[in-house]
Amino acid sequence: MSGISTQSTSASRALELFGAYSPIALTAALLALVPLRYSDSRTMMTVIIIGMVFAAYTIAFNIILGSTGQLFLCTGALAGIGGFTSAILTSKHGWPFIPSIVLGTLLASAIGGLLSWVAVRRSLDAIFTGVVTLAFSLSYENLVLGRKDLTGGENGLRVKAAADTILTTRVAPYYVFLGLVVVYLVLYRLIERSHVGWAFRSLRDDEVAAELSGVNVTRYRVYAGLIGSAMLGLAGALFAHNREFIAPTTFAFGAVDVRVLVMLVFGGIGSMLGPVIGAVALTIVDEALVDFAQLRIMLYGIVIVVLFLGFRRGVVPSVAALRERLTHLGRRSTPAAVKPPGSTPRS
Amino acid sequence: MKAVFLDGIVLGLQMGLLGVGLTLIYGLGGVLNLSHGQFAVLGAIVMARVLQHGASLWMAVPLGLLAAAAVAVLSDLTIMQPVYRLRGEARVLLGLLLMLGVGTIIDGYLEWKYPIEALNIRISGDPISIIGVPMRVGSLVASAIALAAGAALFVFLRYTTFGRATRSIIEDEEGARLCGINPALVRTLIFGLSGALAGLVAVSRAMTSPVISTAGVELTILALIVAVVGGLGSVSGAFVAGVLLGIVNTVSAFYIGTYITTIVLLAAAALTIVFRPAGILGRRA
Amino acid sequence: MAESAAMGSQSASGAATPHSPAAADPEALLRVESLSSGYLGEDVVLDVNLTVAAGEAVAVIGSNGAGKTTLLKTICGLIPTTAGETRFGSRRLTGLGAHRVARLGVAFVPAERHLFNTMSVEENLALGAYPHRPDPETLDSVFELFPRLGERRGQHAGTMSGGEQQMLAVGRALMSRPRLLILDEPTTGLAPVLASEAYATLGRLRGEGLTVLVAEQHVPLALSLADRAYVLDHGRVDLEGSSAELADNPEVRRAYLGIS
Repeated sequence: MSGISTQSTSASRALELFGAYSPIALTAALLALVPLRYSDSRTMMTVIIIGMVFAAYTIAFNIILGSTGQLFLCTGALAGIGGFTSAILTSKHGWPFIPSIVLGTLLASAIGGLLSWVAVRRSLDAIFTGVVTLAFSLSYENLVLGRKDLTGGENGLRVKAAADTILTTRVAPYYVFLGLVVVYLVLYRLIERSHVGWAFRSLRDDEVAAELSGVNVTRYRVYAGLIGSAMLGLAGALFAHNREFIAPTTFAFGAVDVRVLVMLVFGGIGSMLGPVIGAVALTIVDEALVDFAQLRIMLYGIVIVVLFLGFRRGVVPSVAALRERLTHLGRRSTPAAVKPPGSTPRS
Repeated sequence: MKAVFLDGIVLGLQMGLLGVGLTLIYGLGGVLNLSHGQFAVLGAIVMARVLQHGASLWMAVPLGLLAAAAVAVLSDLTIMQPVYRLRGEARVLLGLLLMLGVGTIIDGYLEWKYPIEALNIRISGDPISIIGVPMRVGSLVASAIALAAGAALFVFLRYTTFGRATRSIIEDEEGARLCGINPALVRTLIFGLSGALAGLVAVSRAMTSPVISTAGVELTILALIVAVVGGLGSVSGAFVAGVLLGIVNTVSAFYIGTYITTIVLLAAAALTIVFRPAGILGRRA
Repeated sequence: MAESAAMGSQSASGAATPHSPAAADPEALLRVESLSSGYLGEDVVLDVNLTVAAGEAVAVIGSNGAGKTTLLKTICGLIPTTAGETRFGSRRLTGLGAHRVARLGVAFVPAERHLFNTMSVEENLALGAYPHRPDPETLDSVFELFPRLGERRGQHAGTMSGGEQQMLAVGRALMSRPRLLILDEPTTGLAPVLASEAYATLGRLRGEGLTVLVAEQHVPLALSLADRAYVLDHGRVDLEGSSAELADNPEVRRAYLGIS
């Protein structure tokens, strides 16, 4: 494989880039076709728009859990921070649309980074991450329910700013969120190919070895927390403006976190396209089970147990094995093997 | 102020008992039981159903505790077995993810079958004055239950052979095995005990406020915070942390608003992790 | 091979002996046959034969990393056996969990001691007697053997000195009234005076009829206690014989006793 790349560096580089990004383009092209079938049904458009939003959440979650092994049990809450911040600023304080979204994103990012920072500085970080993020989920929920003056409490909040934008039309929002998914996927790939991605991989494979070789474990985990949380906040904020109405249930733990976890595990932790595959699959399953909506949560629980029991060798090695399998699949379909720049080849 | 403080103790005793059950399981097998609160709620709903069929409290409570203990034992004997074969971080991560799944199954089941069910235990009687504050009988009985359970647990762990064996596994599993103690058996039985304790928390709580079928996640999170602040694996730490956090909780709710309490608890957990990761009573730095 | 198997003295002459002379002895209390074991699929102990007769004191000597600890932990059920088997009296130990082995009367004192640090001396000792009823006589005999423990019965194990912890570890093992006491490097971390004292205590226990198997890097001490010894090298039994023979063996003298 190395023999073909020696002739022309620019050609091989172009080939490599093609190999790295063509799966994203292909996915985008396929997903762009979906509304052709559903564009006349407002209900179905809502379903597939929410599917895209969840794909975005899951890619963000994948950067946090898949890349750095931090089990953030507050994806809904972080998206909700973005959503409610932006909605409150526009609806109650008359802020324009874009700045409100930026602030919501930054706030979610800051909180996510802080949670990472608290949890990963000690051993037992899997435990501590779970505890602080779950506690944050509950804090967020109680805050939304308690500060009725800002959030409308249980009655929810009308979101006004985007009333005349394409975010509230029937079909266009789908493409907005598809665009977001594509941006997130490109971002994922960019990170993966950068030195940050190399550090992520080395500390996922063997944290102790990574630490010994000078990788600052804490710093890179906090990076992942910051980036992933910003992505969650942005998706949540855009979603709030798309829905035009948000309530505590919009970003609730049971509605978001469990689904995102199932989507990621189903699609494949630590793989680029896994979150999208998982989101599409779960959206289809959910639609098929629409008459048994009450059973859904129980089903999610069963799926979590079954999927993780399938990984008898443990989550961490399974992640590696799964990644291995997926990269092999990827290699078969793309001509060039992807290697991060400036890194020593790892197997 | 005195009344707020006493209410805090009432709540704190319940939180302590909740945290103890979680911390025991963690100490024994490294499993963070993310369905602890759901076990409590499951017990509560069983009790509520039994009570609706006209049975007495003396019938309903044991059945509810048994149900919670049974689900706990079942989890240990089935899906936790592959977890115990792992070591280190992989064990911790798989254990908590699987218990998250179990909790979600229980949540989903309760939401499907009993969406508006709640356990409410009313203890009649005139308020009794404690240091000048009239306390409802329900609160006092609830506290008495939590205290009695805590004391019983203390005696069990300190003075019975099986209790000592339990502590020895928490302390040093290999040492325990060399003494002829079977960690798997102890773990299973303590998982059951922990489930029953969760059910008992539900009983105690139902005497002060209704335990609704969707309260599982919240109870789990409270248990987690208490266990972390008390130091994971430390039974006495969990009890002390529970009482302290209960007081903090009611005081902050009284002066700021209910919505702030979880944020205060989250802050307590975060500060503990940053400054005293072994918990408030922890010896290890 | 049949001739050499008839007499233990010949096996100490230098050749590796795949069959231990006592392996054929049906009276042996502990019999390890062709045992292999290790970690993560890699065997550290290879095809070891070893016996300990009732009332005997046997030492396993060898340098650091020779596989002594792995051998003892495998016998006790802490590490799974990959090949061969271990018998204790008429019982097969192989495949039993460590707690079942302990209950059969095999007490193990690991080099790291594995005491219960936040529990008192008394509680540690009580846990040693876990398989039986609490037994005041055994407790008295342990306090008689280690008066120090009696003086500190309320103290937490974790706050005691290295020597005291060693006493407690042995005391806890004795509380189960074992038929076989196995010790791994009992002198780890002890000053020379304390190490000699520890061996004096083991000698006393031996004199009372306790069967002892000990792994030791400090070869002179080990040979002073043991009737027989096995020299372990790279996981295999390199030499075996009576302590006196081994002490005279030029190879042992050079490698382990520092005498040329």
